Amino acid sequence: MVKKNRKPLLERLGREWLFFDGGTGTILQEKGLQGGELPETWNLSRPEDIIDLHCGYLEAGCDIFNTNTFGANALKYPHDLREIIEAAVSLAKEARQRTGREDAYIALDIGPTGRLLKPLGDLSFERAVDLFAQVVRIGAAAGADLVLIETMSDSYESKAAVLAAKENCSLPVLITNVFDKNGRLLTGGTVDSVVAMLEGLGVDGLGVNCGMGPAQMIPIVKRLTETASVPILVNPNAGLPRTENGRTVYDVDPETFAGWMKQIAAMGVQAVGGCCGTTPAHIRRTVECVRGTGPAAQSGAGFADPLSVDAAAFPAGETPRPDQADSPLEAGVPFRPNTKKHRTVVSSWLQAVEIGKKPLIIGERINPTGKKKFKEALRKKDLNYILDEGLGQEQSGAHILDVNVGLPEIDEPQMMEEVVTGLQSITSLPLQIDTSDPEALERGMRLYNGKPMVNSVNGKQESIEAVFPLAAKYGGVVVGLTLDEDGIPQTADGRIEIAKKIYEAADRYGLPREDVVIDALAMTISSDTGGALVTLETLRRVRDELHGHTVLGVSNISFGLPARAIINAHFLTMAMQMGLSCAIMNPGNAEMMAAYRAFLALSDLDPQCMGFIEAYADAQPVMVTASGKDPAGEAGKAIETGKAGRPGKPDQTGSGAAASGAAGGRSPSLGESILRGMDQSAADAARARLETGIPALDLINNELIPALDTVGKGFEKGTIFLPQLLMSAEAARAAFEVVKETLQDKKQETKGRIILATVKGDIHDIGKNIVKVMLENYGYEILDLGRDVAPETIVETTRREDIRLVGLSALMTTTVVSMEETIRQLRAARPETRIVVGGAVMTQEYADAIGADCYAPDAMATVHYAETVFQ
Amino acid sequence: MIKVDKKEIFRYLGYRKNLPDEEVMGLVDRCLADLQAAVTPRCIFRQYPIESVYAIDPAGRPKDQGAKEAARPLLRIAGMEIRSGSLSRNLRGCESVYLLGTTLGLGPDRLVARASVTHMSRAVILQAAAAAMIEAWTDSVNRQIMEQAAAQGLYCRPRFSPGYGDFPLEYQQDFARILQLQKEIGVTLTESLLMMPSKSVTAVIGLSREKEGCVLHGCEECTKAEDCAFSVSEDA
Repeated sequence: MVKKNRKPLLERLGREWLFFDGGTGTILQEKGLQGGELPETWNLSRPEDIIDLHCGYLEAGCDIFNTNTFGANALKYPHDLREIIEAAVSLAKEARQRTGREDAYIALDIGPTGRLLKPLGDLSFERAVDLFAQVVRIGAAAGADLVLIETMSDSYESKAAVLAAKENCSLPVLITNVFDKNGRLLTGGTVDSVVAMLEGLGVDGLGVNCGMGPAQMIPIVKRLTETASVPILVNPNAGLPRTENGRTVYDVDPETFAGWMKQIAAMGVQAVGGCCGTTPAHIRRTVECVRGTGPAAQSGAGFADPLSVDAAAFPAGETPRPDQADSPLEAGVPFRPNTKKHRTVVSSWLQAVEIGKKPLIIGERINPTGKKKFKEALRKKDLNYILDEGLGQEQSGAHILDVNVGLPEIDEPQMMEEVVTGLQSITSLPLQIDTSDPEALERGMRLYNGKPMVNSVNGKQESIEAVFPLAAKYGGVVVGLTLDEDGIPQTADGRIEIAKKIYEAADRYGLPREDVVIDALAMTISSDTGGALVTLETLRRVRDELHGHTVLGVSNISFGLPARAIINAHFLTMAMQMGLSCAIMNPGNAEMMAAYRAFLALSDLDPQCMGFIEAYADAQPVMVTASGKDPAGEAGKAIETGKAGRPGKPDQTGSGAAASGAAGGRSPSLGESILRGMDQSAADAARARLETGIPALDLINNELIPALDTVGKGFEKGTIFLPQLLMSAEAARAAFEVVKETLQDKKQETKGRIILATVKGDIHDIGKNIVKVMLENYGYEILDLGRDVAPETIVETTRREDIRLVGLSALMTTTVVSMEETIRQLRAARPETRIVVGGAVMTQEYADAIGADCYAPDAMATVHYAETVFQ
Repeated sequence: MIKVDKKEIFRYLGYRKNLPDEEVMGLVDRCLADLQAAVTPRCIFRQYPIESVYAIDPAGRPKDQGAKEAARPLLRIAGMEIRSGSLSRNLRGCESVYLLGTTLGLGPDRLVARASVTHMSRAVILQAAAAAMIEAWTDSVNRQIMEQAAAQGLYCRPRFSPGYGDFPLEYQQDFARILQLQKEIGVTLTESLLMMPSKSVTAVIGLSREKEGCVLHGCEECTKAEDCAFSVSEDA
């Protein structure tokens, strides 16, 4: 069988059956690979065994086979990466030649790095891209026919690998991820979220491998066929692993495996093969059964192997069985190409959100426009403040978070990167990258772990040229504003024309039309009273004539009017009735949320009205006075008493509940609230005291500080413990916030500015964060440099900000070394700066040995030391 | 659902013999509920022979201070060569071991990160509760191992992790490779050999024909035991 002409892979993939090879580790272990030995070293030390491995699969009939490079990256092979990859490709070529299978494709095999990406791990996204890029460049130059990224269990790492492949070669890029029996990646993502992201990135095929046997994979495969539009690839293990004498063994034999693969093929996938535990015999039988060239399988042999069926993965009574031999195997499985799904989906690391099924809320609060405190937070790089805005909106019911961090005097691309990566480590809501700076847009889209929403493109040529190439490269659902060089059309006709223009531009750039959402533009009715009607008509026509989805910045409609919330809420209802898909709004606005929830309930979009009931079961009757003098805010307050609003802060610690419990007749005093760590009641008490006319400073000095001191002393005596200390600190902070509002015009002084950082190599920062809370409480301003911070960064910031005290934290003996190095560099550059150290392994002796000025065993000790430094 | 002894959580929070007040108690309960919903417990364990042990002193102690090599005999397990006095004392009389990896997944790390933005008190309690939970999860896996061992007529020794005593942390890399921790249970190592997810455990569990008082975990090998606020024995 000598086949010479190798067609381009993409002329075959998705148009006819293609087969992957099977396990590598399994075969190499039989050839003597030791557990723990690096398989890629065999490319150099035992080339004949690798050629033999490939020949086995080529003779079995596979079309795509993997180079022995799964674990080849510069972390594992810092010195001989090039030799190992070049040898791998050359051995694959040799095998192809020996077997006369010149039609087969050599896949440059890429597996995970083994490291977790930032911010939870310590590998930066760009470093991951670099590591993969090295492999891709070497492998492509050596003559691989495609890149196969496989066994990925983290969507972020998948994204890094796909980007590296697309940026460094022109070969087809295929990727398979590992899902567990709940249909999730190890890092949490679902089939839906992974498909959305990968198709956005433009992969040529995607699917699932490893982790499970074919039987357990069936629910995953089913979901893939429902969500993916590109060719689907399925490479299972030979069943679930079992351990025998320290070795992993797989029990599903070739016949049974092929039976299952036949069933999987019939579900509408386009390429199949095997992973761990599968052998050339498994692949040969699979090719025969699926392509239909082989003899009928032996009757029933091994099909009921209980080890291969995990009943828990299926609903009761639905445990599937492999196709029995009574169906004639030689007939094969008819090939079906995949179909386009035309779904509009954005995704995060955890979940996919589909646009168009029911109206969605895009939280608009992460935006400095008109917000003094937010601007201040951006200037001071107070990431917590910004992240807290995100959490608050999630709590209030947002489905997507808009992220706008544009401020003329800051480095917007850098800030976008920090906020996007910060948000995606604490919330699972998809993000909408909102900026007019193309560089910031690209940073945000690139670093985003999922398929983002992009705000925005418009009908101007310049905007189209800036935004669409990025959307085509990184994937995203783009908001298309219906305005162009001539401004905003006054008529629905004009806006529909621009919408069409934007759709056509999407076609040109290869972005599917479903990835464009049209912004019909809400303009205030205070300047043009016909404005709302034009917007509503545009919404209707995009839905009915263009069959597209829409978005609106809803509250613009009422600009310049009193009681804006009334107009906003009613306009929102009207817009949703006209087909609005996404409302960009403040989910903390009770009236608009009420309109939203009522609309869902009335439109049969809230099953059993459960969402509505949950939100308003405890609500007081709404009383709107007929006089019209009741400000909109007051009218809405009654609604807020339901669960729907955002009582207190997110992640409410229950102090609210405790407060109402303690109330029983009277509210706790400010001091009492702080001592008991009740933040909501502390804020209420502070407000009540201020209303009696007591000067703010008296309140701080005579009530707040003494309460805080009592707690601090109790902690030092061992009568009060860490959680209480922190809860009291938080209650005090809540009270401070209230007091600060009354001091807004006066300049607020801090006692001093302190840098806190967890040293390089250390990613645990809880201790540092505790110290931060306490120092802030005692009036210090903290420059929190985060964790895993390089000595150079600490020195640089100390110098630039002229800092007198630096606090360093290290958790492990291994990272005390970086603490010592940081101190050494600080001493050389800034001898006058004091250094306080702490952390789990730290002791006075250690601190002395590495040259710190002070060892602080706990947070209060740091406070006391700060007081001596800033005396 | 992993059953967690709340006393363990209080101990991690530094309460020693005291009980937290009502507010903290309530917060602990809420944190535990959130953790139960967020964890994805996974484990992997495999049995390996101890291939050779050199120069083990019967008492497991150095005969004289100069004979450091004798005090730290060489153990060969699954291709690892380990020179550790404390591990060889732990494995005295054992013919094989289980290598074990357990994790709660990234859920707890994400919850702590989230709480750190708004309420450090909550972050601290989540941290302590997750620490108690990974111990409880590892204990339950350890019990499975004890049952499997019993079926072979073997008894387990207390589990022993890289970083305990003089068993170097560097062996985390070998554990990662041998047990394929990243692929099997999603556990990765940072450059400085910390495990992520942070609520993860790796350990050696020795198997012997002879029964010894087996505890699931204890303080005996920790060098901090004397003045540690978290000591088990002090609170027990």
